[in-house]
Amino acid sequence: MKKVFLLAIVLFVAAIVPVFAQGEAETGSEGFVPSKDIEWFVTSSPGGGSDIYTRMIADIMTRKDLVNGQTFLVTNKTDGGGEVGRLQVSRVKGGNIADHTLLTFNSGDHAPMVKNTANRIENFTPIAVMAVDKQLLYIGEYSKYASFAEFLDAIAAGQNFVIAGSKGDDIATYELLVEELGITQNQISFITNDATSDAITSVLGGHVDLVMSKPAAADQYVVAGKLTPILALSETRFTGNLASAPTLSEVGPYDNVENPIWRGVVAPKSMSAEAADFWSNAFKAVSESEEWQNEYINKYKLLSEFKGREEASAFMQKFQEKTLAALGK
Amino acid sequence: MENLLHLFEGFSILFTFQNIIVTMFGAVLGLLVGAMPGIGSLAGVALLLPLTFKFNPTTAIIMLGALYYANMYGGAFSSILIGIPGDGPAVMTMMDGYPMATQRNRPGQALLTSNLSSFIGGFIGMVILTFMGPLLADIGLKFGPAEMTALLLVAMTSIGWLVGENPTKGVLLTMFGILLASMGMDTLSGYPRYDFGNIYLLGGIPFVPFVIGMVGFSQVMRLMSERHKETKISVDKLSIKDSMITLHDFKRLFFPAIRSGFLGTFVGVLPGAGATTAAFMGYAVQKSFKSEEPMGSGAIEGIAACEAANNGAAAGAFAPLLALGIPGSGTGAVLLGGLMMWGLNPGPLLFTNSPEFAWGLIASLFLANVITLMIAWGVIPFLVKILSVPTRLMIPVITVICIVGSYSTSNSMYGVLIMFISGVLGYILNRTGYSTAPAVLSFVLAPLLESNMRKAFIISQGSLGIFFEKPISLVFMLILLVILLFPAGRLVLTKLGVLKGKKN
Repeated sequence: MKKVFLLAIVLFVAAIVPVFAQGEAETGSEGFVPSKDIEWFVTSSPGGGSDIYTRMIADIMTRKDLVNGQTFLVTNKTDGGGEVGRLQVSRVKGGNIADHTLLTFNSGDHAPMVKNTANRIENFTPIAVMAVDKQLLYIGEYSKYASFAEFLDAIAAGQNFVIAGSKGDDIATYELLVEELGITQNQISFITNDATSDAITSVLGGHVDLVMSKPAAADQYVVAGKLTPILALSETRFTGNLASAPTLSEVGPYDNVENPIWRGVVAPKSMSAEAADFWSNAFKAVSESEEWQNEYINKYKLLSEFKGREEASAFMQKFQEKTLAALGK
Repeated sequence: MENLLHLFEGFSILFTFQNIIVTMFGAVLGLLVGAMPGIGSLAGVALLLPLTFKFNPTTAIIMLGALYYANMYGGAFSSILIGIPGDGPAVMTMMDGYPMATQRNRPGQALLTSNLSSFIGGFIGMVILTFMGPLLADIGLKFGPAEMTALLLVAMTSIGWLVGENPTKGVLLTMFGILLASMGMDTLSGYPRYDFGNIYLLGGIPFVPFVIGMVGFSQVMRLMSERHKETKISVDKLSIKDSMITLHDFKRLFFPAIRSGFLGTFVGVLPGAGATTAAFMGYAVQKSFKSEEPMGSGAIEGIAACEAANNGAAAGAFAPLLALGIPGSGTGAVLLGGLMMWGLNPGPLLFTNSPEFAWGLIASLFLANVITLMIAWGVIPFLVKILSVPTRLMIPVITVICIVGSYSTSNSMYGVLIMFISGVLGYILNRTGYSTAPAVLSFVLAPLLESNMRKAFIISQGSLGIFFEKPISLVFMLILLVILLFPAGRLVLTKLGVLKGKKN
């Protein structure tokens, strides 16, 4: 009986000690330190661009021991085109859970959210913007025209063309391009695909004339000579094997068309200021790390552009205003 | 010949202790994941992916390839034994597999039929992949929106084989399936459709919960009304020997499996059409051939046709993935994401830059095919025991499986709700003499048809000519025309006395 009693005490102490230890960790250090698993929501499927981005950051944070040895639980929440996950995060009540909740948030998430729901950036705490991506137009190997200028001449002669691209950001860029060129959406029409890879498939098969893609998705095809970049949708030319593509102002009497696609992170609105500062700094540390530059930015040909809490907040706010204005809301 | 040499090189890479172990591990896991309703290859590969980052890429893809491939075997288990498809491709297996196991009292033979046909279909797919991988990928590229539209229209007519005795009811349910599939975000314009202001409906009706409910949970409800009936299945047949099929059975499965293996491989190569579509088409094509017993009543031909097709498709889907870096399915997309994370560049240069990787993977598919067949064969006697569990105990167990499966597709109760609603609906439809198969098939095909057709019209600026100008789509349109006019033509010819009206 005594033994059982002793065992009970030992077990009790063993169970209680970590609780105190944790309490101490929280109060002992200044500000916020993660004290439990971090739930990180991604509103697209595993394996896609956003998912890779998220897991990459989580991996670097874990490797660099930025999160007090806690674990990231990446949850892919794809219901309602991602709107359900975003709404859920925006509604997390304050407290410890809110301080341990993150949401991957890109321009490709922000635009449809504003368009299709009443959810707004004001319902979140912006944490950081990590990187910016831009697009180019490419032709396939069997294309009749070798440059964007030739396409424009053909359009002037009454030809119509089709650009294939992905959802969200690509559509917005396409609309900017058509507007700047001063032509109708019939003269160059756009086909929305679920993913850029589908768009590339259709240009490789010769079914459409042009494809819009970010550098990463098209890279291998450029190397293999299956795709050729003919227009940089950017203020300046790209580098490396994309350097041959001129910007729009080089092609003719137009302004450059650029619609930067950003990748960021937000948290529930109810996240405490200390926690938000902690996370913003953690993301900054990732952004400055060599791993991030080599394994993500350089590999996928993005531009590293870190914006901290305040800056990201102002940036996303501005993006939302622009999107709303474009929608006439 | 050169390809054969490459394949042998692939085998030499494969045959290390570590790689064989991971192939076996992948195969076992694939069987399990496939057998669990709702958790298909997509979830399995996605869950396992993070684990593989520490491996070298070849070992990692060998494991995932084996998992993906074995999954096509596993899906059939629950279809045949409990009447709930383990994953999308296994929906059609249920049509004949479940009756064969329960009504014809040949569960072991049904499982073995499915395993052997999977093996044959997969083997055909792999041989084609080995010798014509890049060529196959190029053929896939030729299928643009216009060609896909024409092909899908032909595929849609195959619903005609599934409508059952009452064509009106069949057509009605086909339309119902199309209507349900059109809910959610419009993929081309991004506008919400039939979302009724509900944020969940923005994403549409998820396929897996819908199918689990429609064909699975509706079965559970039927079982509830029959719960006091004692199970009639004798379970003394527990040895592998007793689940052997006869030579006659093998003859019945062989030709449908060969036919479907080729068909499935081809469908797997096409952009956007995966193993599920392949299984549907394999089954529908089989319907137009002779079968010894009527299809849908437990015919061996039915099981063979769809199992061989989905395994063929699983192998075929690797052609565009490896040769061009184009994923043919959701699972393919996850594998592609994996390739990038392992530091490889998927794309047209993969065969040139990392041949050991590409050929190692193809070789591992061959090995996985053999290993999975052996494991699947070996577990048949144990699996068959499931049937001896009394119905009243099976009901709660299957219900839990249905719930877990539909929850896991999007990690939310929304899937569970959809599963229950479509389950009740499926039950009512079954009771009132409607077959749910047309609804499920049109639910799968309609979104593909819609997006391809609209893309084709954008390209042609609204002209129908696009379907008749290109040779491939023209051929399919002609086939479609023949299929549509055939019944009318036959009627006319019979009336005129040219035909004796005894066909079929």
